[in-house]
Amino acid sequence: MDAFGSLVRKRILTTVIIGFFSLLVIQLFTMQILQTEQYDLKSRDNSIKGYETDAPRGTYFDRNLNVLVSNKPAFTLQITPAYYDTSFNPMIEKILNEQPGYVSRILYLNRYYSKYSPRNIKRDIDFQTIAWIEEHEEYLKGLSYKIQLQRDYSYGVNGSHIFGYIKEVPPDKLNEEKGRYVPGDLIGFSGIEKYYEKYLRGEKGVKYYVVDARQKMVGRYDEGKSDKVPVKGYDLILSIDAETQKIAEKLMEGKRGAVVALDPKTGEVLALVSAPEYNLADFATVTTRDVFNKLTTDPSKPLFNRATASIYSPGSTHKMVGAIAALEEGIIDENSTLFCGGGLNYGGRFFKCLHVDGNIKVERAIEHSCNTFFYRLALSLGVDKWSKYAHKFGFGQKLGLDIGEEMSGICPDRKYYDRVFGKGKWSEGLVINLGIGQGELGVTPLQLAHYVSLIANNGTTGTPHLVKGYIDKKGAFHAFDYKNINLGLREHTFEIVKKAMYLVVNGNGTAGHIRMKNLSIAGKTGTAQNPFGKEHALFVGFAPYEDPKIAVAVIVENAGYGGTHAAPVAKEVMKTYLKVTDDDVSGSTSTIAQVTED
Amino acid sequence: MRIDYNIKDKFDFWVLGSIIALITFGLMAIYSSTLNHPTAYGNFEKQLYWAVGSFIFLITVVFLPKQILRLSVVPLYVISIAMLLVVLFAGKTVYGAKSWLSFGPFGFQPSEFAKIGLILSIAYWFGNRQRDINSIKDIGIALIISGIPIILILLEPDMGTAIVFIVVTLTMIFWAGISLFSVFVVLSPGFVAFSSLFGTVYFLISLVIVAGLLFFFKRDLFFSITIFVINISAGFLFDFLFKILKPHQQKRIEAFLDPAADPLGSGYNAMQAKVAIGSGGLFGKGFLHGNQTQLRFIPEQWTDFIYCVIGEEFGFLGGIAVLILFLVIFIRLLHILSQVKDAFYSLIIVGILTLLFTHFAINIGMNVGLIPVIGLPLPFLSYGGSSLLQNMILIGIVMNIYKNRKQNV
Repeated sequence: MDAFGSLVRKRILTTVIIGFFSLLVIQLFTMQILQTEQYDLKSRDNSIKGYETDAPRGTYFDRNLNVLVSNKPAFTLQITPAYYDTSFNPMIEKILNEQPGYVSRILYLNRYYSKYSPRNIKRDIDFQTIAWIEEHEEYLKGLSYKIQLQRDYSYGVNGSHIFGYIKEVPPDKLNEEKGRYVPGDLIGFSGIEKYYEKYLRGEKGVKYYVVDARQKMVGRYDEGKSDKVPVKGYDLILSIDAETQKIAEKLMEGKRGAVVALDPKTGEVLALVSAPEYNLADFATVTTRDVFNKLTTDPSKPLFNRATASIYSPGSTHKMVGAIAALEEGIIDENSTLFCGGGLNYGGRFFKCLHVDGNIKVERAIEHSCNTFFYRLALSLGVDKWSKYAHKFGFGQKLGLDIGEEMSGICPDRKYYDRVFGKGKWSEGLVINLGIGQGELGVTPLQLAHYVSLIANNGTTGTPHLVKGYIDKKGAFHAFDYKNINLGLREHTFEIVKKAMYLVVNGNGTAGHIRMKNLSIAGKTGTAQNPFGKEHALFVGFAPYEDPKIAVAVIVENAGYGGTHAAPVAKEVMKTYLKVTDDDVSGSTSTIAQVTED
Repeated sequence: MRIDYNIKDKFDFWVLGSIIALITFGLMAIYSSTLNHPTAYGNFEKQLYWAVGSFIFLITVVFLPKQILRLSVVPLYVISIAMLLVVLFAGKTVYGAKSWLSFGPFGFQPSEFAKIGLILSIAYWFGNRQRDINSIKDIGIALIISGIPIILILLEPDMGTAIVFIVVTLTMIFWAGISLFSVFVVLSPGFVAFSSLFGTVYFLISLVIVAGLLFFFKRDLFFSITIFVINISAGFLFDFLFKILKPHQQKRIEAFLDPAADPLGSGYNAMQAKVAIGSGGLFGKGFLHGNQTQLRFIPEQWTDFIYCVIGEEFGFLGGIAVLILFLVIFIRLLHILSQVKDAFYSLIIVGILTLLFTHFAINIGMNVGLIPVIGLPLPFLSYGGSSLLQNMILIGIVMNIYKNRKQNV
């Protein structure tokens, strides 16, 4: 058996050969028949690369379907090192207005990527540069550009605090919605951009390319048939009136403060301005650190939404709360008089009035802004009743504006005083100051506008909102539902108060200088003491008096009297919205009225 | 003696046909993998010339007088060693190994040429009836004959070719009639060490097999236990041996054991080769349509990884066809083996069979992920002139023996 070349040895050789051959056949069968799908997947994964294309964000329209915000193409200059001749560097740097070494630095920073993948050299290149590159394409090998969409704010409405800005996705958001965003994607960061992100973002598209082992693009995959076209986000229809918003923005230029205009019947926001504003275009591509630092460190806090989140003392604009409460509670009627002798003594303290009105009715008290009348009303009401009505009008709570970013403000009640001063350690007399909108009271301009809306519309309105609805892919409009508010108070009460507010402008009141012949404006001025400087000027009002279509609240910080500085802003806003052009001011502009206010 | 003029009797057309088919497969795969390649686009043409040239060599060798084989043993061996020495000093380094000699525009690998020298000289040594295969001295001399070129090749260093030389030498000694027990004593530690590579379970299984074989051979207890202990230590020796290997060789073994662990590093080729073959499916992606091949996911695919071009573009059917063509050659060589009675010629055929089979097994084994990546070309298919020429000469030698087989009786 052990001889040279024996049969056994030949069989051993044969067995080894057949054995290994069988092993190879089994392995081939396993790989190519049983597991071929998973290998095929890997092979496709190797050579087919999907490049995401951004979906255009939804467009904003105003209530008359004018475009407010849309998208425009932005050009990003790119260099593909494999084809690029670095001797062009100085020329490119000159064209881009960059320091020498700019291009080589970016190329160096990206040196570890495949030399066939293009590098972003500079974003937001102007069209002339792109045209120049196109013209010299044959000489400038390796130079290319990419078109991305960016927000277009060129429609004349700034709306910084309404629209909000978009920024690159922060890391926490990346994890929150896995797979939806990749680093570098833009996401709504404030305002409507943030709260309607889900509607606005659309669906990204994908373009598939065949790449080789060095990531060099060889061509389109499947002739582009497998590509996914990006789907634009839903367009939003805002309640904003573009012209009114523009005017409000223009009037608040160079000022600090806020303007909020509402449709009293629905709660739709017609205009909302927080001044100073910021330039949304600075956020359109990638916000530079400089721009952002400048905005966040600016002492006038331009990023802060004063209209919804800044808390002011409402001053005399708040007096109607006491009037309505007292009328509703039967403490007074329209003919009741209270005595004003130039002030009120209470608890050893004198609460002063600016004038001596004698016996005065509620209508005259509002028209003339008598403090004593409202001191006495507040005392008669007491903290509980007063705060019950103040809360009814939305003070001390968030109103549920659809972009959030609201503050509740402060509207004191018994619990509040117990908490702050301790139970039994405070005097009922605290309510006296609340009666004239001072003391511990803090309100936002939005709350004031909402409150005026309720008065104007006899105690009913809608939740304030900026977006009416969206337009789907098929072009159909879908309205969002907002809660209606009905205070359930007597119409007669409102008639009395509204009449008084009408007289503020059209009678012998504190805002007589905004009187118009062909538009009946009703309103109330206010001046809020400011411990840090000059008083804030306030005005709340509505128009037309007969059938209110717009309710406005204006606050101008550190301006002085409300009648002088805030009321004219409100008048212009109302005029614009109601399209009243005749601005024939009656001659009764009374300096006395302004001085005697409050 | 009657001289048979029937041409079928002079040529083994099974072998010849298979080789032509394999070379054709190889040329197609080279064409496909170098199409539009920036540096290797001329390889198809070069290989075509080599194929024609080496075919002429094959025919020439077939018609050489049979005495020439015995006469050329010593000169071939001496020239082989001389060239292996020269290449160490004057060779060109390609892929980290000093294995190429250049003559003007031509380059060739002396280790390819040395294969012929080795097979002929071992065959010559044991082909002599005076040798006692089980004498330590005769085996020792045979090991020296093959040891010299093996050491020189390891110095290049060319691990793959050295492995082939070792396997060829051992198989020829085996064929020469060494006792199976000796084979077992020599091979079992290697088997255990290799098994231990895959983990403790495999190590224990291999020890059980060794114990079973020891029982089968029924040698005395002390001797059996000694061998068993040697086997156990071989398993533990693996760690030590592993450390002797060069880092790139260690990485290749690690990559083989777990190719996915480092898909962009040393496991890259193994991984991409498997992906290419696996994604080919039953019918393949079609000639020139394999994306792994055309997009060059496997570097230098026309050399050691040529088989995955076929696997990807011609699928399971193409892959099996190549395997069967090789099997035909091996079966025919075994068949010829049983017709040749002269020990010298018989040993030559076994040597050639082993050489071709080792290349085949290691190359395709590494392509399909059964064996770690060892740089060995696939005979008749891989791009490379000296390899093709050497293989054709070997086949020529087999044919020469076949043609003259009746005179040898």
